[in-house]
Amino acid sequence: MNRSAKSILSLAILGLMTGTASADVIKVGIIGTMSGPYALFGKNFKMGIDAWVAEHGNKVGSHEVEFIYKDEEGPNPAKSKALAQEFIVKDKVQYLAGVYFTPNAMAIAPLLEESKTPLIVMNAATSSIVEKSPYIVRTSFTMWQNTVPAAKIAFKNGSKKVAIAVSDYGPGVDAEAAFKKTFEADGGAVVEAIRIPLATTDFSPIMQRIKDSGADTIFTFLPSGPPTLGFVKAYIDNGLKVGGVKLMSTGDVVTEPDLPNIGDSGIGILSTYHYAVSHDSPENKAFLATIKKGGGNLDDVTMTSVAAYDGARLIYKMIEATGGQRDPAKAVDAVKDMKWVSPRGPVSIDPATRHIRQNVYLRSVEKVDGKLINKESQTFADQPDWALSTK
Amino acid sequence: MTAIAAIQVPPTRSIPLVREAGGALAIIVLGAIGYYLFPDDLAFLTRLIGISFLVLSLDLVTGYCGIATLGHAAQFGVAAYAAGIACVRGITDPIALLMIGTFAGTLMGLISGALITRFRGLPQLVLSIAVGQLIAALANKLSWLTGGSDGLSGITPGKVFGIYNFDMYSRTAYLFSLAVLVIVFVALSRFVRSPFGLLCRGIKDDDLRAKMIGVSVYPRLVLMYGVSGAVAGVGGALTAISTGVVGLDSVSFERSAEVLVMLVLGGAGHLWGALAGALIFQVFEHIVSAANPFHWMTLVGLLLILIVVFAPRGLIEPVLSLVARFTRKGRAS
Repeated sequence: MNRSAKSILSLAILGLMTGTASADVIKVGIIGTMSGPYALFGKNFKMGIDAWVAEHGNKVGSHEVEFIYKDEEGPNPAKSKALAQEFIVKDKVQYLAGVYFTPNAMAIAPLLEESKTPLIVMNAATSSIVEKSPYIVRTSFTMWQNTVPAAKIAFKNGSKKVAIAVSDYGPGVDAEAAFKKTFEADGGAVVEAIRIPLATTDFSPIMQRIKDSGADTIFTFLPSGPPTLGFVKAYIDNGLKVGGVKLMSTGDVVTEPDLPNIGDSGIGILSTYHYAVSHDSPENKAFLATIKKGGGNLDDVTMTSVAAYDGARLIYKMIEATGGQRDPAKAVDAVKDMKWVSPRGPVSIDPATRHIRQNVYLRSVEKVDGKLINKESQTFADQPDWALSTK
Repeated sequence: MTAIAAIQVPPTRSIPLVREAGGALAIIVLGAIGYYLFPDDLAFLTRLIGISFLVLSLDLVTGYCGIATLGHAAQFGVAAYAAGIACVRGITDPIALLMIGTFAGTLMGLISGALITRFRGLPQLVLSIAVGQLIAALANKLSWLTGGSDGLSGITPGKVFGIYNFDMYSRTAYLFSLAVLVIVFVALSRFVRSPFGLLCRGIKDDDLRAKMIGVSVYPRLVLMYGVSGAVAGVGGALTAISTGVVGLDSVSFERSAEVLVMLVLGGAGHLWGALAGALIFQVFEHIVSAANPFHWMTLVGLLLILIVVFAPRGLIEPVLSLVARFTRKGRAS
């Protein structure tokens, strides 16, 4: 090789290297509960996204994707709004994602249009969130979506009088309305409706009220975390389970990491939900294997990691569709009507509501191979968000 | 303590507000540094200023009157909600909202002051927590008014003086807050050296003695609580205006406890101590939580332990003694 050929070659190599180095970095800001009582679910955002990146690399075309995390702590709309603002102004992120609590998502929504930033909601489950901005897409679930099947099942299983106990905030109010409407339409009666403040830790008085109401079934929703465990424990300890009062809930109340703490007395609790870690499908097996390979603990996996995994898929698709440019309308259009098989089952993005359509499963807590799981027994296929689609 | 009070008396009366001008200038310089060096952090800095008002307000009752309280967020939160609700219902002028917040804060301050300052010691502390919890519970329960756990959103204040719009980059909000801070700070540094302010210090040092020389303690403490409520109210209203959301966090126990920590950190009984504490704590928290969103609380805890061990009377004390030593030297030579 003569000298000129060598220099040309080295120039070419140099050019290639600088070429990759100067490829733009697209930043995605993730807002999640990373510390405090709800830390598990924020960490699940990271597990899900890490799993997606492990499988698909950190590049879309020539664009490098970087995920940055910030801590929303708890239901604190002012803080979340400040975080989102910081992401947009300081970190110059092109996409926002995550958000565990509804009030926090509501606070962020007004920023999106001015800053031209799409938001992929990976948890917050009040129906109306997607209506707050045309740039919001949701990959988690809504209360209506999971609750309507719960009410149908409860009636079919012979419940006549139901006491509803929900957290006193957006999703709780949604859950109450969804259950009441569906259950009463079927011919059942709601004998008691209790709204529990979010910060409640002692549920014994509520159990007493339910006992006094003479209900044969409890329907409940509380955001996953310490309160749900407290609620189930109070239900068992106050003798309602032994007394034959059935507990029907959305899966938020019996997330897999809580099951060992609930213990064997929780066996038989029914719930309807879009994802069980034990869901039997090749996609889910592969997903869990990736998490395990990345050093994640499978006992920590919850529904938020799946929502984050699918959320990352949407973000990649958006980046691909816009060629890395900031174009929120095009980005959101690109994922409308998208269909794929998620670890939770077949899903699609409803083009009208920008919310995910998915199967909802009836599950009961059961012990399989010495481990408590939510065993799926019935499938409600392709459920939309009932509140948004009936409008 | 009495010695400190004596030093605080201005030796001669010169041109009005000359002493305060130094403080005002210092805040303006600091504010300008913040504005030009960290143009991307203005939203955070605006929030910092909002909380600083609450720390200043707490300083007035805890630092200057010796009232132990863990419910001070009540004044802040009530004002924030008042301003927020007024804005949602159609009053959008920021200055008017600020006034509404200040008024609500003052009212809340007088009410809680009338309850809390009747007692001293532990009962007082318990009562302050009770008042704080009562307000928090009300804010949650009256969800038709306050939005409950979902927070009060949709607060879109109009332009300042009809010219400056509140933008996403928080430039207007920041400058607006800074200007209010300068005004309030000047007024407060005047106020704490007024005969009334000095009397409150006297009550703090020895309330029995104060009674003996004919001071009726209770109404003065209530009045001080009212002033403190007004300052907290300014902070609450500013926070509501600049963030556009009011949540339950603004009346929470955590908020009350956090500002007490900031005050102790900076040094209670000094306005500069309150400001320094608010600044250092929040900047530290901000940097650490951005660097490690998963374990930042541990680091904040460590900082607090370090400061309480090495500077138990707040960071301002060593600075003050240093300043005192220099001025004494200067006079001697």
